[in-house]
Amino acid sequence: MLEVFGRHPYRDLLVWTVLLVVVPFLPLDDYVLHILTLFLIFAVFATGWNLTLGILGLKTLGHHAFFAIGAYASALVSHYFGVSPWITIWLGALAASFAGVVIGFPILRIRSMPHVAIVTLAFAEIVRLVLSNLKEITRGELGFWGIPPFDPIPIGARTIEFGLGNAFGSFAVAAVMFVGVHLLLLMLLKSRSGLTFLAIRDAEAAAESLGVKLAAWKIFAFAVSAAVVGLSGAVYAHYVLILTPSSVAGPDMLISLLAMIIVGGVGRFFGPIYGALLLTVTSELLRDFGDYRMLLYGALIVIFVFAAPAGIAGLKPASWRKRPGAASKPAEAT
Amino acid sequence: MLQLDRVNVHYGATRVLWDVSISVGSGEMVAVMGPNGSGKSTVLKAAMGLKKPSSGVVSLNGEELQTKPATVRPQRGMSIVLERRRLFPRMSVEENVMLGAYVRKASEARETYEWVLEILPEIKPHLQATAGRLSGGQQQMVAIARGLMADPKILLMDEPFLGLSPAMVKNVLAIMKTINERGVAILFNEQNAKLSFAVSHRGYLLESGRVVLSGSGEEMLEHPEVKRVYLGVREAAA
Amino acid sequence: MSGTHLLETLINGLISGSIYALIGSGLALIYGTTRVLNFAHGELLMLAGYFILMFAVTLGWPVILAAIATIVLVMVLGALLQRVTIAPLMKREDWAFSVIAATIGLSIFLQSGAQLVWGEQYQGVPYFFHGVAVIGEVRMPWQRIAILVVALLVMGICGLILYRTKLGRIVRATAQDSEAALAVGIPAGLVHTTVFAISAALAGTGAILLSPLITVNPWMGTAYLLKGFAVVILGGLGSFGGAVAAGFLLGLIETISVAFVPSEWSNVIAFAFLIAVITARPEGLFAGRGA
Repeated sequence: MLEVFGRHPYRDLLVWTVLLVVVPFLPLDDYVLHILTLFLIFAVFATGWNLTLGILGLKTLGHHAFFAIGAYASALVSHYFGVSPWITIWLGALAASFAGVVIGFPILRIRSMPHVAIVTLAFAEIVRLVLSNLKEITRGELGFWGIPPFDPIPIGARTIEFGLGNAFGSFAVAAVMFVGVHLLLLMLLKSRSGLTFLAIRDAEAAAESLGVKLAAWKIFAFAVSAAVVGLSGAVYAHYVLILTPSSVAGPDMLISLLAMIIVGGVGRFFGPIYGALLLTVTSELLRDFGDYRMLLYGALIVIFVFAAPAGIAGLKPASWRKRPGAASKPAEAT
Repeated sequence: MLQLDRVNVHYGATRVLWDVSISVGSGEMVAVMGPNGSGKSTVLKAAMGLKKPSSGVVSLNGEELQTKPATVRPQRGMSIVLERRRLFPRMSVEENVMLGAYVRKASEARETYEWVLEILPEIKPHLQATAGRLSGGQQQMVAIARGLMADPKILLMDEPFLGLSPAMVKNVLAIMKTINERGVAILFNEQNAKLSFAVSHRGYLLESGRVVLSGSGEEMLEHPEVKRVYLGVREAAA
Repeated sequence: MSGTHLLETLINGLISGSIYALIGSGLALIYGTTRVLNFAHGELLMLAGYFILMFAVTLGWPVILAAIATIVLVMVLGALLQRVTIAPLMKREDWAFSVIAATIGLSIFLQSGAQLVWGEQYQGVPYFFHGVAVIGEVRMPWQRIAILVVALLVMGICGLILYRTKLGRIVRATAQDSEAALAVGIPAGLVHTTVFAISAALAGTGAILLSPLITVNPWMGTAYLLKGFAVVILGGLGSFGGAVAAGFLLGLIETISVAFVPSEWSNVIAFAFLIAVITARPEGLFAGRGA
């Protein structure tokens, strides 16, 4: 438990919230806000994926498909039917969640990690191909543009505008989503159901013998995880305003997010957030050296797997292990 | 010839063997007896190098082996019959047996092969059969044959009677005696006190990872503690 | 579908299937022996593509010599990959996912590395075999037929090594029970390295056969990796023979599907088939005979 959440998860989340409230009032230029907005969106994506990958322990590799489904579903509905993005993002999350349940069923039948990894990867590839082949609707790899930004909200005399170019409003939407999603997930995971997730990860057989309905729980976890990722995809769509299948559902997205989670810490609640922050900022700093971005991500994944498998989040709690009462000697034989 | 001196073994943070010291002399038959979870399998695995001790010395004829991989043991004259036979299930019986001589020259292996088939004539009709399809008893014969193909001076046997019919247990016991009479030392483990000590020269009693008692086979059988806890319970149940 | 067209489709299916089989059987061999999913396998294929380009085109070596040099080089790389990255991770408790993550990282690293070293352009390798074979009414370039023949030959040799030699016997022993193999004195570490080298040779063969048809580029391995994994699962995880059969099956499904749907949908059908099979038969289509 301590390992997953840290000591004071609600306090940590509060700190993040305060920081996010303060940021827009700092004298930062729009470019910095833009990067932070991307960070917030990817942090939610990474947290959603970490739910199955780290916290439930199901090694899925296809969550970029849910991101793409959320993004395209929201973008398409708002574009073709004129529905407000404020509504369609929830449709996007719902669509992703539905897809999560659908792909969850074949996964339930299998316990072997390689099967799960490959099935989810194949599923993501199917989603990418379908999005890219339905050219009449999505314009394929040419890119789907004309996605409406969120409708402006008038507050008193001012009007907050959204979408690329409106840094403040976009940052605010991403920040609200970030805090909301993490708060809800924290409440879910710290409740009885959260304990069940951890029990499933640590001892599947034991959890089953305790009467946990494994199948239902896994489907539920998949639905929640996919919904979170889909929501982040939808918000992303109405921020960047153009989508291509390979940019949202391609291998680069998989690698970027995997890198964020591994660098941050697989299975740590706050880990993916650190990872997303570090990698979003670094890859922006490296923008002029475009070709090096994936090289860096690949190298970071390898380095962290070897040198710090618990990620950044795992580096901090080293001092906790020495807490009094934990007198038992750490394992000599590993 | 085989000596374990104050061997400790950990699985993760759990300590399963506590300063275990055991010796097997040349040509001896030695039993390690203990209840489920007492660590008796771990003793054999540590001796064979399949489990690395966190401290302590494992030596064979004076050569320290605890840091060396399992693969050097067959070359030094030690081999093991693993718990639950552990044959290569999709290979033929003959392939299984011949793999036991992996570390030896083909010409030497041929000679041993004749000798092994003489001791274990039961496997002759099944040489071309797929190992995984044989009955438990037949598989145990093949596993023993595989262990003998290294031409060991000492053979470790991990729970050799597990899951066998009473008739088959007798059969395996007889084979162990034959092997031992031909000068091969045997170190085996077993839960049942009678089975353990009736045939062995010496024995050890292991409880919760510690050696609590040792002596000759007869001494062990006559020991009041063994009688009360292990034989008494057994006889009442039987 | 006319008879000629059907025959042509079947041959084409077998040709692309033979590439899938080459890649999938290598992955299956690795999985069967070490339980590792090697996500950097596609990059061995890609690097072999650049090697053959370098030897056969840039240096102008005779094709046979260039092919042998390529295979030797890629085998060394495969062995190195296992020794340096996978073997150390295997000692960990959570190795299964660590290895997946590390090989994914390595894969993207090698792709971007190749892009930096050799650039983004697609480089062509000329046909090794010229002319067109005429079988009845079917006309087929010899280069394509050579793919099928050479792939079958190479996989046949691998099969012989696996089932008829001492090396094969110890590989199969390690695959079936690694602890028992260790106990009879088989050095599992060396076996694992050997298996990676053999599987790299299979991927290298695939690269050599493919490079004149699809041109060499940093991403040429990606498309085949997922197909390779699909083949591993369809064939029954870890079964060499099963993977070979599944490779041909996948090739046939793809080419036949093109007769009914636009070609850009053929991969959708292939992967949907994979998911359907996993749901219905998690043990694969050709399970039973392990490596």
